[in-house]
Amino acid sequence: MNIRLNKACDFSELYAERTETRSLELTDGLVSQATQTLIQGVGVRELNGESTRYTYYMPSQMPDWFRSTPVRLEASAKSSSCGIGAEVDLLHKIESMAHEVDARVVKVRAVLASTITDVSILNTLADIPVHDHRERHVLMVHTVLEQDGRHEMGYASCSLAQPVTEYGDEVWQELVSKALGQADHLFHAITPEGGDMPVVMAAGASGILLHEAIGHAFEADFNRQGTSIFSDKMGLQICRPGITIVDDATRPLCAGTFAFDDEGVPAHCTHLVHDGKLESYLHDRISAKHYGVEPTGNGRRQSFRHAPVPRMTNTYMLPGEASEEDIIRSVKRGIYAQSFTNGQVQIGAGDFTFFLKTGFLIEDGRLTAPIRDINIIGNGPRALADISMVGNNLMMDTSAGYCGKAGQQVPVGQGIPTVLVDRLTVGGMGSI
Amino acid sequence: MIGSQAEARLVLLRNVEETVSVINQKLDKQQRGESQSMAVTLYIDGREGFFYTNVFDDEPLRRFVQRSIDMTRLLAPDEARGLVSPERYYKGDGAPLLNFDESLEHTPTDVKQELAFANNAEVYGKDDRLISVESRYVDMTHQAHFLTSNGFSASVSKTRCTLSTIVSVQGEGDARPMDGWGQSRLFLHDLPTSGIGDIALQRSLRKIGQRPVKAGHYTMVLESPVAPSLLHPLFSAMGGQALQQHASFLEGKLGEKIGSDLLDVVDNPHLPGTRGASYFDYDGAATQVRKVFDHGKLCTYFIDTPMSRKLKMPPTTQSIHHIIQTPSQFSLDEVLRQQGECILVTDFNGGNCNPVTGHFSYGIEGFLCRDGIYVQPICGMNITGNMLDLWQNLIQVANDADPYETELIPSLVFRDVSFS
Repeated sequence: MNIRLNKACDFSELYAERTETRSLELTDGLVSQATQTLIQGVGVRELNGESTRYTYYMPSQMPDWFRSTPVRLEASAKSSSCGIGAEVDLLHKIESMAHEVDARVVKVRAVLASTITDVSILNTLADIPVHDHRERHVLMVHTVLEQDGRHEMGYASCSLAQPVTEYGDEVWQELVSKALGQADHLFHAITPEGGDMPVVMAAGASGILLHEAIGHAFEADFNRQGTSIFSDKMGLQICRPGITIVDDATRPLCAGTFAFDDEGVPAHCTHLVHDGKLESYLHDRISAKHYGVEPTGNGRRQSFRHAPVPRMTNTYMLPGEASEEDIIRSVKRGIYAQSFTNGQVQIGAGDFTFFLKTGFLIEDGRLTAPIRDINIIGNGPRALADISMVGNNLMMDTSAGYCGKAGQQVPVGQGIPTVLVDRLTVGGMGSI
Repeated sequence: MIGSQAEARLVLLRNVEETVSVINQKLDKQQRGESQSMAVTLYIDGREGFFYTNVFDDEPLRRFVQRSIDMTRLLAPDEARGLVSPERYYKGDGAPLLNFDESLEHTPTDVKQELAFANNAEVYGKDDRLISVESRYVDMTHQAHFLTSNGFSASVSKTRCTLSTIVSVQGEGDARPMDGWGQSRLFLHDLPTSGIGDIALQRSLRKIGQRPVKAGHYTMVLESPVAPSLLHPLFSAMGGQALQQHASFLEGKLGEKIGSDLLDVVDNPHLPGTRGASYFDYDGAATQVRKVFDHGKLCTYFIDTPMSRKLKMPPTTQSIHHIIQTPSQFSLDEVLRQQGECILVTDFNGGNCNPVTGHFSYGIEGFLCRDGIYVQPICGMNITGNMLDLWQNLIQVANDADPYETELIPSLVFRDVSFS
């Protein structure tokens, strides 16, 4: 099959991709399940104005301009001393540590998953293709603890740029500790009373606040259609001076890091909010042309089966000056939000949610009772304006996060220092 | 090539999909793709490897298969893993399921484009508050052939087409409420070609002025399109792996009454012309008509072959196929009038359910209703509780389930739900 660029349209692009994945799962003390996939294909995109025509193929031969690295998973699968052998050993070490640390452990499930993707992109704007090699290695640990006939489950994950076996033991040991700690927390935790209250978002995983409250609403396809609540706020002060939020695909070792986006635009660090003012949306080529700006390197797709759309990469807030202790001390009654399971946003209304897995009550400036399993709701513009304190402790969330949009899942990174949001709606039993 | 105690399942897959999207009477996107792939599950002395590829060239495929075999051999044996025993396979004696439209993938794209444009035109320009109207036509042809080393061979062919519209309108202040409507059918000639856009517009306009209402305990009416969302945590907790991992709030509750008498659900995969119809699971085991909840009683778990061996329980099915909640004779409007003051939940906004304990907290949108009148559109609220308490408080069901969906769940009424 001869797949060519169509030079008669405004813009034409060929996107060639080969993705290999491998996963190993330990359940009930046995690494008895493995999965391996090899998928390749080519997507052809033609733009005329803002209309897209997209077709994908699975040719038996990839184009001669496609470049892939040697198959790393193939080499490692043949050896029992490295690659799969080392990974099997690691999974057993994880299970052993969980049982040694906590006698209440009744089940351990651990998964190692690697995804290696090679992408080559050719378009009518350049004579030569761009190439990108992306690796993502994920470790997930589930633990189930039993106490007084009751079960609780803990979960932790990390996403890395190299195989987990190439890092020090502290990486997987920290995950086991986190999973055990989460399950232990749940035995003691209460569901708090619901209502509107101040919420201190802990550094790291609370980057979900940025992702859901503003990140999606800054994706320029929504703004181009006028459906985002931020559609007419470019250049306006949307939160306190001093607050700066970036989307940065160049930040090393994060889940949303790459050399080129899926339209062949070099990775970029975009200031979404600078000193409290909305400075830029997240653009793909279509929206950049619509707004008369340069693409920001946010055109992403799940695979060659999809046309790219504007997506976040690694979204985080730059640190402020407050200490976490001072932030907690400033709250008379509220909650401290620590770990989360998922989030969602209604782009037009601006209402976003995230599900708090673990946290603490704050009473008279101190962390008191552990809390669990509550949904938190806010409104994007209001929540952003209600951030009144920013900590000096920026932390990136290293867990294995995916973001879903338009039927496509892509890996994303996020981070935040500890912040105080003066008012969010906390789902709970009863109300205050 | 493999070994002495080796078994394998091979599934050959072919999918064709086409999408047309129209925004504000302009073509936004037209997408088409065809894929052919194969999935192989290997069992070598109790070791299970799953492999999937779309590379069919001789040499790369040979290398991939060899690598798969090498990898599987490095695993630990697990006597629970293996193919389904032949007596449980579907024997191929069912009546035609009538769920494949042979003409779908050959229908010209222009015809599908016209459907999307016509649907969009129902709304575009019809109201000053409109911001954006997106109409979308999507279809999918799915064909698969299953083959196992212990004698199973069968094919599946399914099609589906969907027409939908999402409308965004200017609300109060900066808010831009958005809602939509859609319809799916198995055959293109059955797909409704009008009315979808109008419903989407009305659903969006009625959301203008959304705000939270006073927190407290309300009767909750859960609108049919989102009603399955609150059954899914039950289905997850009924899964074999959740039970075996002690990660299920329904562990040990088989045969117990976990809901009110009105919770009455059957899984019927054998109804021709329905979306979930299927005579066999992915592993080839014959499906059965199965009572899931009988007047509140939990009648089954979803136990596949390996979990059956681990849990020492009879195998049932891997998952639900086509579930039907027994309806009443009342429409949604009649049910709303019966409730006096209640909150009609029309959509969820995030949230989760703890699979071990059943504690849930979900964001919701909807309407405060009194005697059937929509008094106030609602957003920014949560419902919180425990699944087992919730289903004991099911006090009414309506008759408005969409017969063309996989899960035929009408609107449901729960008393005493905590809203905050």
